[in-house]
Amino acid sequence: MITYVAQRLLAIAFILFVMSVLIFGITQVLPGNVAYMIAGQFATPDVVAAIENKLGLHDPIFVQYWRWASGVLRGDLGQSLIMERPVGPLIQEAMARSAILAGVAFICVAVLGIVLGVVAAVRKDSATDNAISVFTYLGISVPEFFWGIVLILVFARYLNWLPSGGIGDPAFGLPVDPRYLILPAITLTFALIAHVSRLTRSSMLEAMRSNYVRFARAKGLAESLVVRRHALRNALLPTITVLAIDVGFLIGGIVVVETVFSYPGLGRLLLFAIERHDLPLIQASILIIATIYCTANLIADILYAYFNPKIRYGRPAH
Amino acid sequence: MAAPLIDQDGLEAPLAGVTRPRLPRKLVVGGVIIGILVVLAALAPWIAPYRFDEMSLLKRLKPPSAAHWFGTDEFGRDVLSRTLLGARLSLLMGIGATLLSLVIGVPLGLLAGYRRGRFDEVLMRTMDVLLSFPPIMLGLLILAVTQPALWKAIIAIGIVYVPPIVRITRSVTLDLVNEEFIQAAHVRGDSTRYILFSEILPNAWPPIAVEASLRITFAILLGAALSFVGMGAQPPSSDWGLMVSEARPFVDSAPWIALAPGLAMCLTVIGINLLGDGLRETLDPRMRSQRGA
Amino acid sequence: MSRTLLLDIGDLTVDYATPNGPLRAVNNVSLQVSQGETLALVGESGSGKSTIAAAIVDLLRNEPASITGRMLFNGRDIATASAQERRALNGKHIGIVFQDPFTSLNPSLTIGRQVTEPLIQHLGLSSGEAMQRAVGSLGDVGLPDPSSLVRAYPHQLSGGMQQRVLIATALVCNPALLVLDEPTTALDVTVEAQILDLLDRLRRQRQLGMIYITHNLGVVSRIADRVCVLYAGHVVETGGKSAVLGEPVHPYTKGLLASLPQLAVTDRAARLSAIAGQFPDLTKPVQGCVFAARCPFAEQRCRSERQEIVEAGGRLLRCWKASTVADSPWPGTKPSGSSREGWAISAAAHEPRAERLTKIYSVAAPGGGLEWARGWGGLPWLRLRRRPLRAVDDVSLTIGRGEVLGLVGESGSGKTTLGRMMVRLIEPTRGRLAFAGEDAATLTAGNLQRFRKMNQLVFQNPDSSLNPRRSIGDAIARAVEIHSGLSAKARRERVEELLDMVGLPRRYYARYPHQLSGGEKQRAGIARALATEPSFIVCDEPVSALDVSVQATILNLLKDLRDQLGIAYLFISHDLSVVAHVADRIAIMYAGRICEEGPASAVLQPPHHPYTEALLSAVPFVEPAAGHQARITLNSDPASMLRPAQGCVFANRCHRNLGAICSERAPPSRETADGHRILCHIPLADLETTARVGPGAHANTA
Repeated sequence: MITYVAQRLLAIAFILFVMSVLIFGITQVLPGNVAYMIAGQFATPDVVAAIENKLGLHDPIFVQYWRWASGVLRGDLGQSLIMERPVGPLIQEAMARSAILAGVAFICVAVLGIVLGVVAAVRKDSATDNAISVFTYLGISVPEFFWGIVLILVFARYLNWLPSGGIGDPAFGLPVDPRYLILPAITLTFALIAHVSRLTRSSMLEAMRSNYVRFARAKGLAESLVVRRHALRNALLPTITVLAIDVGFLIGGIVVVETVFSYPGLGRLLLFAIERHDLPLIQASILIIATIYCTANLIADILYAYFNPKIRYGRPAH
Repeated sequence: MAAPLIDQDGLEAPLAGVTRPRLPRKLVVGGVIIGILVVLAALAPWIAPYRFDEMSLLKRLKPPSAAHWFGTDEFGRDVLSRTLLGARLSLLMGIGATLLSLVIGVPLGLLAGYRRGRFDEVLMRTMDVLLSFPPIMLGLLILAVTQPALWKAIIAIGIVYVPPIVRITRSVTLDLVNEEFIQAAHVRGDSTRYILFSEILPNAWPPIAVEASLRITFAILLGAALSFVGMGAQPPSSDWGLMVSEARPFVDSAPWIALAPGLAMCLTVIGINLLGDGLRETLDPRMRSQRGA
Repeated sequence: MSRTLLLDIGDLTVDYATPNGPLRAVNNVSLQVSQGETLALVGESGSGKSTIAAAIVDLLRNEPASITGRMLFNGRDIATASAQERRALNGKHIGIVFQDPFTSLNPSLTIGRQVTEPLIQHLGLSSGEAMQRAVGSLGDVGLPDPSSLVRAYPHQLSGGMQQRVLIATALVCNPALLVLDEPTTALDVTVEAQILDLLDRLRRQRQLGMIYITHNLGVVSRIADRVCVLYAGHVVETGGKSAVLGEPVHPYTKGLLASLPQLAVTDRAARLSAIAGQFPDLTKPVQGCVFAARCPFAEQRCRSERQEIVEAGGRLLRCWKASTVADSPWPGTKPSGSSREGWAISAAAHEPRAERLTKIYSVAAPGGGLEWARGWGGLPWLRLRRRPLRAVDDVSLTIGRGEVLGLVGESGSGKTTLGRMMVRLIEPTRGRLAFAGEDAATLTAGNLQRFRKMNQLVFQNPDSSLNPRRSIGDAIARAVEIHSGLSAKARRERVEELLDMVGLPRRYYARYPHQLSGGEKQRAGIARALATEPSFIVCDEPVSALDVSVQATILNLLKDLRDQLGIAYLFISHDLSVVAHVADRIAIMYAGRICEEGPASAVLQPPHHPYTEALLSAVPFVEPAAGHQARITLNSDPASMLRPAQGCVFANRCHRNLGAICSERAPPSRETADGHRILCHIPLADLETTARVGPGAHANTA
């Protein structure tokens, strides 16, 4: 188990390194001279040249990369060109808000997805199963921004129960007013729940057709015990993997949902940065987001190894 | 995995043509929906009542009526026409990006699964890195460096989806490489190219095809999302994502502007999903019965 | 001696609902099992035996199946009992063990958990008490160190150990009846022998009633009291073991016994009798006797009249001709196919010769520690420690022209790897494979093509050895195309000739593999191997995946082809009796080394290598008159190949271990006059005087 974790850590470190190179390299291709943007439209060429030198834009690319990367490792993510503030705190603030939204959505997706999947499997081919199927189908078939808009229309405009966007002030003793989270979270959950529930359903079905479940039934065990202890345990393993992949989709969805609901999170920040060609902000945001995704995958891998006795215990020298 | 008890008793294969596979409903319904859609999209320039950029300041924000079935938007453009023409863009985006990812991904996956070794290692590490980006991030990253346009979005999405295609091709190839008929091909001296394309690929394409059909829906959705945030199609194009984005300020006064493309997207994606699922159902059992298991 | 009747099944009929209509898997089956007796249910695949087992433990409840008939357990009607009542019965009064030990245990739960479940559920024990009893139960089935075993996970145990765990679980609540569905089919012969002994002991100790389902008549002979023979869901013969196996009456039973390859074969040129025809389609109800289509004694009345059970001579038979055919033997078979004139085996046909072939794999064992290695590009990378796995270790052998060398070994012996190295499907790590004066491993291009033409391989699994998307004609034609310059028309003719040679009708050219039966697919595989006109064919377990009756036809075919075409074979198998039938010479392989080699008749008689001795003693053979034989038991399960062998590879399992010398020094090769070679420290004279084991132990006392 330790060896497995060690290997994965090394792999992640390597991947992050390559990713950072990729991010840096791609953004270097960005048109529009960075110095121009700082200096403003009416600056003279001298001023632009001076800024270029100060920023070290004429150095070879490796040096520039090293400057940036070592800064990142030290915690200095650079200076936003547009807002003229350090990137670090900007991202931190936005990330906290996105994290809350994403966290709520993730928990909903995980819990609801698994429950629905198990129910659908146990009642295979019944009306319940079909209903769940249709429901989740709709979820993945329709883009999040559409659902978001529909939800806003219904709940914010017509029914006026919930706010249509923004973040509000801290309320109920929590850092974020939960009423502003409900619609975005529902949108995100609905979009992703199908993956989890469908996979859980099919791996439950597979588990229930397996030889070990057959043997458990033949031992005369009660059906609920068979489902709970024998089938579910093995069926949930692949679900861990798909939840990790869903973190990726969640992040993608965050960008869109934050736009629809005007939620000031990391996704909106990134879009803002891209529109304005704010290089350091773009680089830092994408790097952070990708790191989060990698970490989620790492955690999923570790959990998978932990719950899978074949990896955890290996084979004793027999 | 325990097969149903019938298979355990291992009945000998009956003669040809005894089992007639019935087409599942999903396949038929999905096929019909997509068929209609494709026809509409193909004929759009001729059946659309108005041009997609035909503006009229008099007829702004009009609700659905006989003259404009889906109403008009804030520039007085006919929403129905724009939606119809947008179908072409979305289908183009979905199919184009998927084709691109297949053309690049399938040969890579075949080679990696067959050859293993250095090439496989390097390729899979690269794919791992690309897969470590959430899809939309990678798309944004690629598009951030250039002036956004629809064709660039298609290429970006195509690149984003190369890793999953490579993965599934490789895993199917890995399964097949261990089959004895591939080893038999070795033993009789067939060349690598022959084995890859005449022995492996004909057996590998069903799962790849199913995956590809689902990728089309992802591509359409991702493309719409990118257009929505302004990184894909640009105005005055009538891409559906863009239409929804432009419709946001008017969502309570003129909801039809957003609803039309949204519903169209729903229908399209549901149709393709049904088609893909139906494909999976027809292809899988036949593959299994062809193996005589 | 009256025993309590435990299970009384009468007129059991099971229909499965399939897209093609109802499939009658079990047709009016009646059988009884009493306390303390073992009833063997014998049949090939499709006979319905597994369905009967499932019906007994109520596993068909959720399947689309309809069950009618009477089932009484201890006098109580269980066929109409509720699901809950049946569940209470399972585990507590009826235990069942399934075929595949590797998948019957839940991989995520500890052994202890799984063994204690029935105790907690049925007997209401606390988990502490249950664990104690579980430990005792595991000890009863011969597992070492049960108190630490309960904390282990299934994947940490070998197949034999897992099967013992399953048996322990089935017996833990002291049921009266034990049902076993092919429990040893997936295990090695030596392990199987141990399990059979264990079952016998348990039955006697606990006075169990046992239903043992199998297709292996040898096992039936060893373990059964009464036998019930099934064909296509019908009972065709039931009776005492010695009667049914010694003097079979029903034609099917006769056919089965006649098609069994025997170890004690006196006339090796003799062909095995086979059962012609194919298994019937169970969705089509048959009028008259279900076996009539394949029965050599069939008459018009057989086909038109429904057959009922008659009682004759203490047994139950489903054949109205019972009395008349009782003494007629099963007819033999004639050589099939046409001989190929002018087969192009050139005079320079090579004799395959392997010199010190070795194949070492580098295997990472989880839990074995880490090591630093150079990743690609020279980067330091952490990975699991790798250890060498000697799949094939220093093997040399020569096969004469037209000779059949039988290679026998259990799983993990390396026989498959060796076979593949000889056709260069796997590259050897060391050693030399001679071909046309050169080392085959160095051949390229044109010479490599000639090598491939001359050396072919027949695979084990008929389902996966043919491309499902090509017609078999095309698959065979491809082989012809690569190695001959024939035109398309000539190629087609050649393929049709090949089809004739292997006994397939010419119209099968356009058929796809899923339209052929297992035996037919295997014939197609043989035709493909012959297509390049090889002089040497490696047959890798060619009959292991086939039913007994089909096995005989393929073995006959291989023999005929060798006789007609003069091809040499390396015949690989785990089944000594099959090998004994085909081979001129036999080599016995263990843990990558050949421990005994020589002419077939010599190898099958003393002197034996200790491993051969154990193998011969373990092989279940049909000898109805024999009582219980002294069996040689090997300690522990097969050696892990990871352990580098210092000295004799067999040392740690050998029942004749001489002590330190066996573990430290490599055994010398001892030869007898007739080319019989044994690798052992024990001198020949001592090996010669071992008690005879195996079949023919009574017959061949020359």
